[in-house]
Amino acid sequence: MKDQQFTMTPDLPGVPPELLERLQEEAKRNLLRMKHFGEMIMNPKEPEVGPTPREEIYRKNKSRLWRYASKRTVRTPLLFVPNLGISRPYIFDLMPKGSFIEYMTQQGFDFYLLDWGVFGPEDNGLTVEDAVTKILPRMAKKAIESSGASEMSVLGYCMGAPLSACFVASHPEFPLKNYIDMAGPIDFAHVGLFGLWLDPRFFDVDKYVDTLGSIPADMVKLGFKLLKPTMDLSTNLNLWWNLWNPDYVTGFNALNKWANEYLPFPGEFFRQWVKDFYQQNKLIKGQLSMAGRLVRLERISCPVLAVGAKEDNIAPPGCVKPLIQAVSSRDREYVELPGGHISLIAGRGASVHCWPKVAAWLAPRS
Amino acid sequence: MADIPSQQLFDLWRKQVEEGAQTWLKMLGQGQPVDPQAFWRPFMDQGMAAWSKVMTQGAASPDLMAQWKQFLDQWIAAWAKVLEQAMSTETFAQAMGKQLESFLNTAGPVKKAAEQQVEVALSALGVPSRSQVVGLAWQLVQLEEKVDRLEDRLDAILKRLNELGPAAKAERV
Repeated sequence: MKDQQFTMTPDLPGVPPELLERLQEEAKRNLLRMKHFGEMIMNPKEPEVGPTPREEIYRKNKSRLWRYASKRTVRTPLLFVPNLGISRPYIFDLMPKGSFIEYMTQQGFDFYLLDWGVFGPEDNGLTVEDAVTKILPRMAKKAIESSGASEMSVLGYCMGAPLSACFVASHPEFPLKNYIDMAGPIDFAHVGLFGLWLDPRFFDVDKYVDTLGSIPADMVKLGFKLLKPTMDLSTNLNLWWNLWNPDYVTGFNALNKWANEYLPFPGEFFRQWVKDFYQQNKLIKGQLSMAGRLVRLERISCPVLAVGAKEDNIAPPGCVKPLIQAVSSRDREYVELPGGHISLIAGRGASVHCWPKVAAWLAPRS
Repeated sequence: MADIPSQQLFDLWRKQVEEGAQTWLKMLGQGQPVDPQAFWRPFMDQGMAAWSKVMTQGAASPDLMAQWKQFLDQWIAAWAKVLEQAMSTETFAQAMGKQLESFLNTAGPVKKAAEQQVEVALSALGVPSRSQVVGLAWQLVQLEEKVDRLEDRLDAILKRLNELGPAAKAERV
């Protein structure tokens, strides 16, 4: 009787049934690809980002200090310091089950995020020194006051790592419990392509800032796109390949929104950032001074974790690792995890490799 | 024998790509000797193996798509390496610096002239100009900074008073 039943898989002589099934599966995927592609073009939905509940603790000019809802079972609060300019910080809280902040709050950390904000032309006079000696100390103070704790851990990501390292190394009165550098350049002699492109022989930062005032978001975008020109091609190829999968499409939309939202740099900040860090490498040499205070990394004596990403071309592992030798901590560790600059902290790989590692290192020390 | 035309096609393509990459890198004045084959070879060999398999299979296979995707991935990865190698040369950095400088030389005077004209036009209309609005915003930022400093001083005074409180009480007793 089986031969008389209607089935979706036709019997074709000489064609193995498994092959037919796989062909059908591929045909289904192609239909879904077309459907999702049509939806993306005809009815694009604004992705919802930043799902973790939070409250604003303090604001200073454009910068905000956010506290995220958590069980707060870990005693020492954590201040997260991301990059200033370049991109928005919602990448750390991109979507449910795809959020570093959500993960850390679920682990019981009292989590504070410093959102530097979007600076306008009126902030062109803002320098790295201002960020380190005026904004960061105030935000850290407000976070400690808000938490009621006596000590605080600091986690710097990307540019946020050298900025926060400058802060903790020049403010010995700050009750620092632990310090984490995630993909943050410390020794700019090994910073890769950006180091070469910003070399004073080829790049006149004074002329750049004097002419443009601030660094427009489009220029920032151009610089980062140039760093990996094939990125858009491979991103779109992967999108097409996974377009049948609605979960992938949701994740892609959220990430794509973030990846195309570049932020400008205040002019004077960029000038000091390029000169003192990229061109003169003052931080690791101990020659950096902020508001009359010498920034000495060896003053950091608390437990330190440095995390490098194997395929990071913005802050290659070689420029992250030297922090470990520069600090005077007895408890110090360097780990190199798979992924690039962004995939170290955001995405499926990060949830497997990075987040559990950071939480497991930090929790017993907090 | 189905793979012979494709083999020839790939051989021809590979030769073109390798020669193209060599010429391109020479044009960029690469200081260090490079071997483009070193990173092209694994990608080409894998691609060749995959396509030979496809061609000899005869019947249509759903794996074709996966192989094509793999092929494109490797192709992009190979190009990424070529570009990275080219962009990590001083010649490229120098060329980019010059390009940027010529842009600034052009953009600078144009930007300045445009700003001046807009300023004059807005002033004639009695509308605040961008620089005036920016100046006002800057003053607000400075004002906020002053308030912050006052708050810091107040905090310090309160802290001192709190410290002195018990000590003064003890003295009185």
